[in-house]
Amino acid sequence: MKAYFFTFILAGLTLTSCSSDDDNKIIDGEDTVVIPENYSFERNGNSTVSYDGQTTRLKMTSEIMGDFTDFDNATEESLSNMFANDNNPFSSAALNESSKSVKSKVAASNLYFSANTVESNAIKTDFEDFIATQMNAVKTNKDELAEPGIAGQIADGSSIRYVNAQGLEMNQAFAKGLIGALQADQMLNNYLAQPVLDEGENRANNEAGITEEGKNYTTMEHKWDEAYGYLYGDPSVPAEDPNSMLNESNDRLLFNYLGRLEEDADFAGIAEETFEAFKIGRAAIVAGDYELRDEQVAIIRENISKVIAVRAVHYLQGGKAALENENYGSAFHELSEGFGFVYSLRFTNNPATNSPYLTKSQIDGFIQELLEGNGFWDVTPETLDSISQEIATAFGFAVSEA
Amino acid sequence: MNKIPGFLLILIFLFSACSTENEDKTPDNEKEENSFDREAMLVNWADNIILPAFQNFESSTRTLEEQTTAFIQDPSVAKLEVIRSAFRTAYLDFQSVSMFEIGKAEQLNYRNFLNTYPANTTNIREKIETGSYNLELPSSYAEQGFPALDFLINGLGANEAEIVSFYTENPNASAYKSYLEAVSTRINALTVEVSDSWHGDYRDTFVNNTSSSSTGAVDKFTNDYVMYFEKFLRSGKIGYPAGAFTGEPSPQNTEAYYANDFSKELYLKALESVQDFFNGVHFDGSSAGKSYKQYLDYLDSIKEGANLGELINLQFDTIKAQADSLDASLKEQVRTNNTPMLEAFDLLQMAVVLLKVDMMQALSISVDYVDSDGD
Repeated sequence: MKAYFFTFILAGLTLTSCSSDDDNKIIDGEDTVVIPENYSFERNGNSTVSYDGQTTRLKMTSEIMGDFTDFDNATEESLSNMFANDNNPFSSAALNESSKSVKSKVAASNLYFSANTVESNAIKTDFEDFIATQMNAVKTNKDELAEPGIAGQIADGSSIRYVNAQGLEMNQAFAKGLIGALQADQMLNNYLAQPVLDEGENRANNEAGITEEGKNYTTMEHKWDEAYGYLYGDPSVPAEDPNSMLNESNDRLLFNYLGRLEEDADFAGIAEETFEAFKIGRAAIVAGDYELRDEQVAIIRENISKVIAVRAVHYLQGGKAALENENYGSAFHELSEGFGFVYSLRFTNNPATNSPYLTKSQIDGFIQELLEGNGFWDVTPETLDSISQEIATAFGFAVSEA
Repeated sequence: MNKIPGFLLILIFLFSACSTENEDKTPDNEKEENSFDREAMLVNWADNIILPAFQNFESSTRTLEEQTTAFIQDPSVAKLEVIRSAFRTAYLDFQSVSMFEIGKAEQLNYRNFLNTYPANTTNIREKIETGSYNLELPSSYAEQGFPALDFLINGLGANEAEIVSFYTENPNASAYKSYLEAVSTRINALTVEVSDSWHGDYRDTFVNNTSSSSTGAVDKFTNDYVMYFEKFLRSGKIGYPAGAFTGEPSPQNTEAYYANDFSKELYLKALESVQDFFNGVHFDGSSAGKSYKQYLDYLDSIKEGANLGELINLQFDTIKAQADSLDASLKEQVRTNNTPMLEAFDLLQMAVVLLKVDMMQALSISVDYVDSDGD
């Protein structure tokens, strides 16, 4: 409780300092960078901020997740259609008419996958497999009690969890997996990657104020906003001041878990720091200060990567505690969330190396340890501790902090 | 969304508490807390309250099962009355153990299997007719336990003869009989399992877990106790039927809906059990031992100049006094005049704050159930 209390004070102070200062802060460098109070940027009196495409994909993800356990109506085909946006699968015409899909942006970043389509396709297939398992093995056994090696339902307090033969909830694997494979990968390894921000004539056009055809933004500004949109693009999150809805929005993906870290005294401050970095970086682009911009990229990459790692360890440890009390339903739910975050580690970005904090083979090893044999039914506390420790060490925090 | 306002509320209370009372006392508190005999409290809880309460309840569920068997062998109005009486005794006795959802009970999701209401009568009828059911599935919570039994012995027809006819003349009579027996048998079997674990190793595991960390027995159980009061007593028995969260009164959400005049008695019994536990009163009522009340007194916990333990007892007394004005059937109360139900809810909510904020803070116990996942 003390920890929460402290957070509250911090938040209060932060709020005070924001509202009492002048609206804009200025960093003097070679160029003058004007940092607005909110994420608000204009050219000729009109906003230059736009990330509709990200909001569209987040809405699609919400609809898919809503259908994932609707065994009465959903099928492998219907979910797969939603994932790829084929055959007008959504309830909203706007989503159906969109040229975008979730699947096309899974494991699709410039930095990690543009010349690695083998792995990119394998990851897309993993997500298709999550759907297929849910709508076949799990659905078939939805009225059976889950047992080691047998899919079915299992009680978690008043909730019912539907798990595969290894105790894994496919909806958790899918949703928490997308936090890495869609959101973090697109943000950290695509839109914030230098080859994307600085592609072609981006710098020259940005400095000359040459906007995209029919738009009010330069390409570089827009790339930055697209990264912003993957974190803050849920329709319930206010565009200019997202943290005002931290832990209160309808977002159930990355922004939600950023909020969870903020509530933990060991990581409090991360939400504000991340937002500031987005804002300063965007202001730096307006001023043409790319060095300052890239410093902010490093902060965002570190913080977003940390959200994934901390939540992975948090859920593995939560699962371990529940297993020790033989509360299997509760344990499997925690471990399923943990599995999704472990899967997402592949898409983290360590700014010191411009590559994931853990290697693909390390992460594949974790996944194998979690799921081998009967999976969560017989995973040991020692295994959960050793994976937790390896993750925490790679990211520089203590297991107990998560 | 739901949890945030509550969370902020706690913060606000914490804030006022910190700034008004405890500043100069903190060092004393910490010292005294360390010397309070938590193990003696756990022993009193286990040996004088929890074990005898389960022993008593187990005997009621055994009788219930036996009377069910007697009924299905030869269904009659007279035998229906006997089951009904066994049902009432067992359901009342359940109110003394429902708050102990820890250990084996927690692993089994015991409370969900015994008392998820309203019963899903559509599913119950369907399962009786198809003869295909598995009461071990968590998706069948609302098709078993006391609420299902209530439906099967009180709700199938307009009068006793009509109800008995489901077990005699109905084309599916034998299916009705099997289902009734399956429900009674499962209540007893689960209860035996939980009771056995308390009378076996779990008692020692519980009383020896004296750590003051979040996994210690006092911290963990206190969360279970306060959550029971908030979610199952306040919300379940009063809040949902009264529509306290929706503005829509819902009489169908009342406990023991078909028994009709029984819901207030269950509510009062639950209140009494919670208060007795707070005061460490032995299950047989003979005397009292180490308790939350003593722990708070030991820490000299004060809220706005008054003794916190006494404030909590006073609030329990106020709630019980207010309940006197309620109809014996809470369903009728909701239908005829819902305001006293909402007033009851408000009084219960004040007790939630005293327990969840003031008491838990005084005992330095973190609330572990606020941060539920929501997914």
